Amino acid sequence: MVSFTPDYMITLITIGTIYALAATSLNFITGYAGLVSIGHAAFLAVGAYTEAILLLKYNVPFEIAFPASILMGAILGALLGLPSLRVSDDFLAVATIGINFIVVGALQFSDFFGGTLGLSVETPRVLGVALEDTVFMLFALAMLAIGMGVSWWLQRSWAGLALAALREDPQAAESVGISTARFKIIAFTISGAFAGMAGALLAHYFGFITPGTFGFLLSVDILVFAVFGGLGTIWGPVVGAYFLYILPQFLRTFQDYRVILYGLVLMFIIVVEPDGLMGLYRRASDWWSDRHAEPTAGETA
Amino acid sequence: MSGDGSILRTDGLHKFFGGVHAVDDVSIEVTDGEILSIIGPNGAGKTTLFNLITGVHEASRGSAEFLVDGDWKRVTGRPPHAIAELGLVRTWQNVRPFGALTTRENVLAGLGHERYRSSSMFGRYDRETHEATADDLLERVGMDEYADTPASSLPLALQRRLEIARALALDPELLLLDEPAAGLNEEESEELMTLLRDLVEEGLTIVLIEHAMDVVMNVSDRIYVLDQGSIIAEGPPIEIQNDERVVEAYFGESETAEIEGGVGDA
Amino acid sequence: MSSVAALTPLQIGVSTLTTGLTLGALYALIAVGLTMVYGMMRILHIAHAAILVVGAYAGFYTWSALGSFWLALPVAMLVGGLVNVTVYLALFRWIADEEPLIPLIASIGLFVAMSDGYRILFGAYSKNFAPSFAFGSPIPAFTTPQFVVIVLTVVLFAAVYVLVAYTRVGLAWQVTAQDREIAGAIGINVRRIMALNFFVGGALAGAAGALVGMYYGDVSPYMGDTWAYKTFIIIVLGGMGSIPGTVIAAFILGLFETSIIAQWGFALPRDAIAFLLMIAVLMFKPEGLLGGEGSSLRRYLQDLFGESSEPETVEEVT
Repeated sequence: MVSFTPDYMITLITIGTIYALAATSLNFITGYAGLVSIGHAAFLAVGAYTEAILLLKYNVPFEIAFPASILMGAILGALLGLPSLRVSDDFLAVATIGINFIVVGALQFSDFFGGTLGLSVETPRVLGVALEDTVFMLFALAMLAIGMGVSWWLQRSWAGLALAALREDPQAAESVGISTARFKIIAFTISGAFAGMAGALLAHYFGFITPGTFGFLLSVDILVFAVFGGLGTIWGPVVGAYFLYILPQFLRTFQDYRVILYGLVLMFIIVVEPDGLMGLYRRASDWWSDRHAEPTAGETA
Repeated sequence: MSGDGSILRTDGLHKFFGGVHAVDDVSIEVTDGEILSIIGPNGAGKTTLFNLITGVHEASRGSAEFLVDGDWKRVTGRPPHAIAELGLVRTWQNVRPFGALTTRENVLAGLGHERYRSSSMFGRYDRETHEATADDLLERVGMDEYADTPASSLPLALQRRLEIARALALDPELLLLDEPAAGLNEEESEELMTLLRDLVEEGLTIVLIEHAMDVVMNVSDRIYVLDQGSIIAEGPPIEIQNDERVVEAYFGESETAEIEGGVGDA
Repeated sequence: MSSVAALTPLQIGVSTLTTGLTLGALYALIAVGLTMVYGMMRILHIAHAAILVVGAYAGFYTWSALGSFWLALPVAMLVGGLVNVTVYLALFRWIADEEPLIPLIASIGLFVAMSDGYRILFGAYSKNFAPSFAFGSPIPAFTTPQFVVIVLTVVLFAAVYVLVAYTRVGLAWQVTAQDREIAGAIGINVRRIMALNFFVGGALAGAAGALVGMYYGDVSPYMGDTWAYKTFIIIVLGGMGSIPGTVIAAFILGLFETSIIAQWGFALPRDAIAFLLMIAVLMFKPEGLLGGEGSSLRRYLQDLFGESSEPETVEEVT
């Protein structure tokens, strides 16, 4: 039996929040722009390692390092998004896996980045106050809120409309004046920024990062969270992350089966309800409002 | 408008797909304010020609130019979105609406073209003024009541009109319509023809690819006939109807026969 | 084998060549199965490597029970084929025509689930798979396992070629790959052809599994991982859906890995280098080495109607 001390709850929520932020960042590429990306852990690695290096080797204070990691994530997001201009769909899927491997491989073989042994990261301090435990959790939640806020805004902006058109039909989008190249890069930039943010938070929270942390399995995890919750929605990735991360913690007996269950969940949800939990929710609420609608002559549910 | 009144001209366009010579030395001119039709049997290269002009395919040889604000601008070699921004807009043979978006949002996607290039792309599109502009465009094609309908649930005829409204959102000078009458019944075709004539009266120039001969003969000022990638005839409908080569291209016989309305694909 | 210091450059070169060819053969065996599925259904069957693993285990258990590799191999192929068909009937058949993201994500889930499933079923530790052969390799430069791998690969490919090129079923297969609708219209049972496609692809993967297990001496739940990534690289390099392209790319990668990577200490792990190679090629030729050059008629039609069911290259925007 797991004892739910307040400390444990805080841990769960904090890690869940970091994953939720990671899934939200993936959502910009895969949900809003419709571009397949199965190597997202690479973007988190960029943020995490930037943060670690700045703090460790250059003694940069957190107030500067953290935004720098976000910026680095944005820049590399844009760069690593370039293949998406050249190739599409299945080729892109494989290319993103490749990018994940290349980034991890480069980190492993680089002494500057600590190689396979990794780097340690200290607790962040802002204005003398240590960001740990509850305070860190609140900070992480605040970051998540920002991410969700940007999602919300994007959905209503012209850029978001362009992305939706791009997602639907890239050639048709081009024919109405939407530069698919420009908007793909924009999606990758925003995504990279928030992934970098999540990576930096992750680095601080675990206190220690290795290249292995950011391998293909993490990319799959993030994808599962986003898909399960519902791609292309604001709450989907968040709900998916919290649900799929926290629930198994309650079921200790299933810990050994976590991976196979994730795989099965992914298969199941994508076939039965590709729009994930949010899709189910929408279907349910539509059904509910249909049932309670004013009956009109000839109307079918 | 240039001296001779043309606003689009192609010069020796060629397109090879592997060994297939899809477009063979095509040089055409489009006059400002006309309705021009491009006809020909299936596989003649008509859509490919459109694709070359709108940047969907790269020309193997040759070029195309479009008149923008009194200057001739090369369109071959530009990406499709840039050509659309110049005011040369096309629709698709297989209708391609943004299915998951509403009718109004489809039009808004086109209206955004002014904002996509700058930071104003982060402004909100769901404001009343924008929606009103979109609704005006929908009204122009007679679709304002469907503004909130998801585009995927519209019947074909309405989807075709939606594509036209979406194209109009880019404030075009020249509209390239790829088989806009395909799949329409007689009444819908009539409505389409009326719409096209209205648009031209408002100052647009239209180039059509069409198989429906009744539409073509009724609405065109001028016709180019394409067969196996090359132009085999050009002229007003009366001339084309009686042109031997055209009949031969469609039917493979050297008979002089009037092509009545209702002649479909070869 | 003499000590390393005593090997002449020629000996090193030759052994690199034979190892490279063997690796290429293994890659080809597994990659062709994957490219077959892609060519038919436009689905990237990410779990294909998991079929290799199930074949490896089937081969292993057969060998440990009956003592003969020559029995293990057909069993591995049969199991691989059947499991793959099951995957088709239970999963891909239903989602083949959805937007591409869906089968892709489903196959990721399948891969993850199957790999972990092997761990649960067979245990996380590798098992020794070392059949011995009664004969020596007739070709001087190749070791016996290498010889077995290469000969079997050639035999299997020849068999598949005969099947596709010379039988009624093979003809139906080709037609269905070209145009599913026409195939259905002329009376071909498309579903059965698809199932056959998956069976053959799975059988090849199963064979690859048995051979890989035999060649490297063990089977383990995660043995498929590296093969999975390499297979993706190969079919992308070769042009997805193109069987000749895949075979060529397989041998290129096999030789590339053994010669360049092995000889020189390199700044990146093997997988990363292979991916770099892939991305470099893609940036210049987004359809892969031989991709998009199938029948020029097919490509013309696809270009003509603007919508390829093949992954479309987004032309570089300047």
